[in-house]
Amino acid sequence: MVGSAPLRLFTVMMAGLLLQLTVFVDLRVVGVAPELLALFAVAAGLLAGPDRGPYVAFGAGLLWDVYLPTPLGVSAVVFAVTAYGVARFSEELFQESRLQVAAILGLASGLSVIGYALLGSVVGGSGLISFRMLGVAVVVSMVNGLLTPIIVPAVSWALEGKRVFQ
Amino acid sequence: MVASRGFTTPRRRLVLVVLSGFTLLSLDLSRFGPLETVQSVARDVIHPVTSLVGAVLSPFSDAWNAVFDYGDLEQQNRELQAELDLLRGAALEVDAEREAFRRLLAASEIPYLGEVERVTAGVVRQGVGNFSADVVTIDKGSSSGIAQGMAVVTGAGMVGRVEQVDSTTATVRLLSDSTLVVGVRLASTDAVGLGSTVPNEPMVFRIDKGLDWPLDDDVSQLPEIGSVVVTAATSRYPAEIPIGRIVSVRRNEDGHSMEVMVEMANDVTDLSYVTVLKSEGVDQLPLNPVVPSTTAASDAGSS
Repeated sequence: MVGSAPLRLFTVMMAGLLLQLTVFVDLRVVGVAPELLALFAVAAGLLAGPDRGPYVAFGAGLLWDVYLPTPLGVSAVVFAVTAYGVARFSEELFQESRLQVAAILGLASGLSVIGYALLGSVVGGSGLISFRMLGVAVVVSMVNGLLTPIIVPAVSWALEGKRVFQ
Repeated sequence: MVASRGFTTPRRRLVLVVLSGFTLLSLDLSRFGPLETVQSVARDVIHPVTSLVGAVLSPFSDAWNAVFDYGDLEQQNRELQAELDLLRGAALEVDAEREAFRRLLAASEIPYLGEVERVTAGVVRQGVGNFSADVVTIDKGSSSGIAQGMAVVTGAGMVGRVEQVDSTTATVRLLSDSTLVVGVRLASTDAVGLGSTVPNEPMVFRIDKGLDWPLDDDVSQLPEIGSVVVTAATSRYPAEIPIGRIVSVRRNEDGHSMEVMVEMANDVTDLSYVTVLKSEGVDQLPLNPVVPSTTAASDAGSS
């Protein structure tokens, strides 16, 4: 165990935010950037369950909202709801393989993109709902799915101070 | 007991979290000062770390771009060289025209763009995430005198407006955002109207409000194709900032007004440095009626 869980969570979230604000501003796949904080949020839902997961996801969303043009709270709400959904869905799973986890978290990341665009539009954001939104959701699903072997252990360490997938 | 059991189940806790989120949303939408301050301070605190991490990790993103965008860069280089050659030739002509403009505007007491205090800033970051293509972050903020609403330009013309200001950085909303409406003047006719870029076409500016179609269909009264469009003195920005050149003029569907399409002078999708004009904008555009701004200037010129 290294430090307290909130400190570890904050450290991992900040690392994700910094990567998102630096590397993933330029480094994009067909013009789409991975959504690290969305992946962090849904991974927290999977690992921390419906009890703690939405709180952690809400924090990740708030941090991301500080940099987004939409009002504060849009990502936070969407991430919390998505994390709760992932937590509930994963409770029904008989067995969690790595591939299954990658598929669930990738898909949930894509859904959070759509949720962000929908809620962002409701509160006055412009140009969020379009065909491009669906393309972004698909690419984010795939790229975030590929990133789960890196993010899930990091989130697990932040939550519990130990690794998963051993 | 009931109160203590109120938020014990995960679903109820989720409701609490969502309600908290919507409360924040409402406060932010109503521009609640303390909340804006907290966000601004957070960005200011994180900015030096972001700069450091960005500098350390930039070789990785540069390598990525070099591999995947090399062809585009070569093409851009050739186009830029061609543009540079053209601009060298045009510069002398522009200097002469600028002096004439300055005299006209002085007579009409409209502030000339050259007299506005300005600050040059570097673009430190394009839009973050996947839905912020029309926003860039610059490396100057309120400590450099930048305030919300100021016009942002390059040597070629208008780029956008300052949207959000922190201590050392500011966010600029680019003209490519089709919701950003600008009051403009057509140099060839002195008519004033309102326009914005066409959605998903950042190089095309459409003026579709405030311009009347000639009553007797007299085409000689239409603005010249290729003539310049600049910001109007009645707009929220300083007058005479170039927007672009007219490429087409047509009658609107209502039959009484005209639609003017303008090719933007600036490619706002590829910016490295910009200049912020330190002349504070107003909150709202004067929508109706739009009063021609240069009547006095024309009189002064003809007298």
